[in-house]
Amino acid sequence: MDVFLTSPWIPAEWIRAHGLIPRGIWASESFHSGGSPLSAGVCAFAEAAVRFAETATDSVVIFSTACDQMRRGFDTAQLHGLERDFLFNLPATETLAAKQIYRAELERLGRFLLAIGGHAPAAATLRQELMQSNATRQRLLESATTTSPRGFAEAVSRFHWDGEYSPPPPDAQGNPVALALVGGPFLPPHWKLLDEIEAAGGRVVFNATKTGERSLSPSFDWAAGTNPFDALVRGYHDHMVDVFQRPNTRLYSWLKPRLAAREVRGIVLWLFTGCDLWRAEAHTLRKTFGLPVLQLEADEATGFSARDLTRIQAFVETLQ
Amino acid sequence: MNVAPRKLDLSGWDDRYEELQRNGLREPAYGGPLRRHVVRGKDYRLEQLQFDNSPAALRLWNFLLTENERLHRARAGGEKIVGTMKDLGTVPVMAYSLPGLRAFYPDGAWWTPCLMECSDRLLQQAEAMGVDASFCPVRAMLPAFENGEHFPKPDLLVCSTGAVCDDFSAIAQRLEHLGHAILWWEIPRRRPPAAAEPVCDLPGNLAAPKIQVDCVQSELQRVGEALGGLAGETLDDDLLANGIRIANQVRRRLGALRKSVYAAPAAPLPALEMLVAEMLAIHFCSDRAETIVVLDALLAEAQARIRLGRFSVNAQAVRTYWVNPVADLRAMNLLEELGGRICGSDFMFSHALDLIPENLPPLEALARSALADPMAGPTADRGARIVRECQASRAEVVVVSRIPGASHCAREGEIIRAMVRLRLGIPAIELEIPPVCDALLPALGSRLQALFETARARRTK
Repeated sequence: MDVFLTSPWIPAEWIRAHGLIPRGIWASESFHSGGSPLSAGVCAFAEAAVRFAETATDSVVIFSTACDQMRRGFDTAQLHGLERDFLFNLPATETLAAKQIYRAELERLGRFLLAIGGHAPAAATLRQELMQSNATRQRLLESATTTSPRGFAEAVSRFHWDGEYSPPPPDAQGNPVALALVGGPFLPPHWKLLDEIEAAGGRVVFNATKTGERSLSPSFDWAAGTNPFDALVRGYHDHMVDVFQRPNTRLYSWLKPRLAAREVRGIVLWLFTGCDLWRAEAHTLRKTFGLPVLQLEADEATGFSARDLTRIQAFVETLQ
Repeated sequence: MNVAPRKLDLSGWDDRYEELQRNGLREPAYGGPLRRHVVRGKDYRLEQLQFDNSPAALRLWNFLLTENERLHRARAGGEKIVGTMKDLGTVPVMAYSLPGLRAFYPDGAWWTPCLMECSDRLLQQAEAMGVDASFCPVRAMLPAFENGEHFPKPDLLVCSTGAVCDDFSAIAQRLEHLGHAILWWEIPRRRPPAAAEPVCDLPGNLAAPKIQVDCVQSELQRVGEALGGLAGETLDDDLLANGIRIANQVRRRLGALRKSVYAAPAAPLPALEMLVAEMLAIHFCSDRAETIVVLDALLAEAQARIRLGRFSVNAQAVRTYWVNPVADLRAMNLLEELGGRICGSDFMFSHALDLIPENLPPLEALARSALADPMAGPTADRGARIVRECQASRAEVVVVSRIPGASHCAREGEIIRAMVRLRLGIPAIELEIPPVCDALLPALGSRLQALFETARARRTK
């Protein structure tokens, strides 16, 4: 059975170790529902997850509590009778209590996976899954600076779809304006934005969206005798990097060396309309890194507007 | 009570105040005519409001509108100020358990643009700081911190995080980026316990897995240590138990007031004063002892009016259950002007109205109370309580007041209305009320009128 994850901080390795198939929901072709107009204030990503859950009756969707939109999206799905889905509590802090909550949530998710047909994970299987994903993440991270932005986005998406590594095509070198793409989920229908940026004379040298390089930050260490479940908990809880964390200093600490190393000259802040968490960061990003920030909003999960293209062209032109 | 209930505008209250003074009105230190809040405090919205004419209401309003002054005075007197954010009713119980601490909610600045009719320009300043109208009016808090013209800068800032509103969390994070250090504590999203999982009962007929209660308890322990450090005294079980006992005194009085007013055949106190009174529950309007006095006066007034059969709103008014606080206080007047009355309410802090268990270790009791926060749990839990209270209060209609820009409002209204319609079959509407709703009054009025007409038509069927 396919188990669709709405956040990269819900471990796909744990699902796979239970004999089920984890899928990053954003990588699914049928995720980008569009269709009926959104109610005021509803995030299109959360709405797409709710609609996906309604239609994907032969699979389950794991929502996360990372934001109000997803929490209440889950509430809406429950109201519609979708009681087979699961809400994973992602703690916002980095305290000991938060780590215990994260651990307990993984255990609870494990019980849920057993109930929907998974099998109890063997330690060796989990260890193998962790090692394999560690290796794939590492290869993807190494390719981040040497491959085309779109190819990298596709390769990361592939990893979140089936766990596989598909080598992204090498980058065509040149001297474009180096940009960072920072923000929430950046979905396949949005990838053409990367092409448009290149056409305008820029290049996304750092894809720090939730579905880009940032999603590869979980990492597992292997001290002698390490229990793989402990490694899983530490590997995710201690390495997740997201805007909802409080304080979100880890996000800024993670961004800073990468922005500097890649000589980024401007930040494109990518967010879904209704996402307060990212929207409120625009000023802080600008001030912290001393870089211009262009805020782009996706008002639906299907693409971006002609107006956005004009703004991108102007932004790149300004930086040239 | 020797004067019939009446609603007065500010001019009416000028005369009424003189009359009360002539008759020997005794007031606390923060007392005085309401007019002075317009003249000195620029609370221009008061000129558009209708107030209850009782001395108890006068005391309530003066108490509310002098909060910042009282906080500054407390600071000058050597007390430590704790800014507690988002949890609405938990951390203040801890802070007031310690000597020399005074806790308040900077969140309360969300009413400042309303009261000052935006003359303070807080919302515009917030926008300049990158927090625009897509956020809830609580964004007024951000420039209020920066300009220092409202509440004093707290000695300690505490904010709950996790299962909280995105807009508030984002604004609080922005505050921290601006240099205001925050002690964050985790409130997990409350979930139903699984089969065979250790369970804890929570106030409000709720339950949560023990592991979640343990998590909140350990987080509150951290908060307690910080508060103790500020006060120079450990927050031990005895102190906290006493703080809970006094908080429950406030909650019992509010419970009695709500029961008296909402269950009466007609409304002995207006909706606006009841909204303000309920707000006292969350942090005692920065003075726990005085909150009890203010509530006692309101309760005595309400009970006297009921005994004498004298009401603010007549018995024919449509019994309305109101969900969420209003950004513009004027909306509460409007409801009654158009033929409604409040018979029940959920202003987002029902957990601050429920008694905190006194038969448990105090920190665990407080953790259970915190987890009962309607905003931390499933919307269906909140909806279920609303349905229960609507049934108990024989509500004829439900109004979900949408807070502009609030992340939780994007979906919760739809869910609550669906539950109300399905389980009770009564009309339920959702209204968005901005901080100053004058421009929308015709539209709001039309919708409320239509709602009340529908309710009255249903009476005859």
